[in-house]
Parts: sequence; structure tokens; C-alpha cells
Amino acid sequence: METQEAVAEGTASAENGEIKRDGRKQFSMGPQDIFEGKLIYDGSIHADGKVEGEVRVSGNIDVASSASVRALLEGANVTLKGQVEGAVTARDKLTLGKNAKLSGDIVVRRLQIDDGATLNGHVRMGDFESHTSGQ
Amino acid sequence: MSPTRPVSNGANGQGNSVVLGPKDRLVGQLFIEGDLHVSGTVDGSLEATGDIEISGSGKVSGAVTAYNRLVVGSDASLIGGEVRVARLTVEDGATFSGKVSMGKPEPKAEEPKPVEPEQVIQPKAKRR
Repeated sequence: METQEAVAEGTASAENGEIKRDGRKQFSMGPQDIFEGKLIYDGSIHADGKVEGEVRVSGNIDVASSASVRALLEGANVTLKGQVEGAVTARDKLTLGKNAKLSGDIVVRRLQIDDGATLNGHVRMGDFESHTSGQ
Repeated sequence: MSPTRPVSNGANGQGNSVVLGPKDRLVGQLFIEGDLHVSGTVDGSLEATGDIEISGSGKVSGAVTAYNRLVVGSDASLIGGEVRVARLTVEDGATFSGKVSMGKPEPKAEEPKPVEPEQVIQPKAKRR
């Protein structure tokens, strides 16, 4: 069967998925979307579908429940509802929703884990180096 | 009274429940067949066959194993230990660090995954 998939290789240009909300940029993915590579983005991302690689944003990261993520994630507020494999850094708060599954080490300032979530990895709270330089 | 879980270790045949209040302090190891509520200070390792709840201004430094559920309240802290639990709730505001392992409490030798036969894709004969 032939399937057509939108595959963004390498550094993504946010032409299609970019929506402005409250003056802040939002990179929004749908359940059929695939992102592979490294994304450094001044704004927030709603991740759905498949994400592989590295995502560093100045705003928030929000992983949908149907998403499958194998990536390093760094953002201000990180909210996970789907499956994530990889290290997660939340400069402010990390929230694991009740259906979230996270395998990876996390560095956070604040942490909330809802009943039902699965976590396997090291948790560190407090100071951490930031790699997002706002560009 | 209907027992809510199959733990029966207490004097009356009911599940045990140990409460460490805000002024209580434990140094060392504790294993309990039942539930454990901590709002005091614990320096050492805790293991419970039921739930463990760290609430109020409870502070635990050390390993924590709960066969069922671990709850860390919003003013409570759990630091530096190995955390093995089946279910985990961490409330916003809690201090929490350590190595977390979730899933089956005692994972036996990993079951070998059934090997899926690899699909061999035959290249189509090219036509000129």
C-alpha cells in the first residue's frame, strides 16, 4: 500500500504547522505528522504523530496522547499525555498525564505526576543548564 | 467491614496501617505488610506491600518500594533514593528526586520476544 507522509527532515521550517496564538508562535502537529531531526524553536510546540530527534523550544511542549516520541525534549512547561522515550528537561514544570508513558531521565523545576502515568528514569529537581539560547 | 485488599497481617486480621505523624522520626529500614502514611521524617528505606503516602510536611530520604501505590503530597519531599512502585502520584509542589522504576515489582528474566519474520520485499523488475 502506498502511503504519503509529510516527513520533515533536518531543521524544520515551520511553514505549514505554524499558527500564531497570543502573539507567540505555535508549532502544531497532527496525528499523521512525522518529524525527524533537530528543532530549535522560539515558541511552543504541540507534538502529535511521530517525533524523533531533538526538540528545544523557548515556550511549552505539549505531547498529545496519540503521539509517539523518541527524542530529547526541552521546554519551559512540558506536558506529556502520550508515549515518550528520551530525556526531558522542563525549565519550569513537567506534567505527566494519566496516560503518559515516559522512559528517560528528567530534569525539572516542578513536577506533577498524575495517577496512571508510567515513569522509568532518574528524576532531578532544581538547577540545570539551559541549551536554548533564544534563537 | 469489607477488606479492600488481600493484606491481612494485623492483630484483627485486617491490613496493617502504620502512621508516622509530623513529630515522628524513623532512622533505618522499615518493611510493612500493609499501608504506610508518613508526615514525619524518615532517613532510610521503606517498603510496603500496600500503599505509601508521604503527606503534609513529610520528608523521606532513601529508597522507597511500594507494591501498590506511592503518593507524594504537595508539601512533602522524597529525595535521593531508588523508587520502585506500581503506581505513582506526585502532586505539584512536591520535592521529588531519585531513580524511578515502574511496572511489575519483581521483573523476572525477560521473556524473549517472538521473532517476527522479516518481510523480504522483492524489488520489482524494472522495466525500461
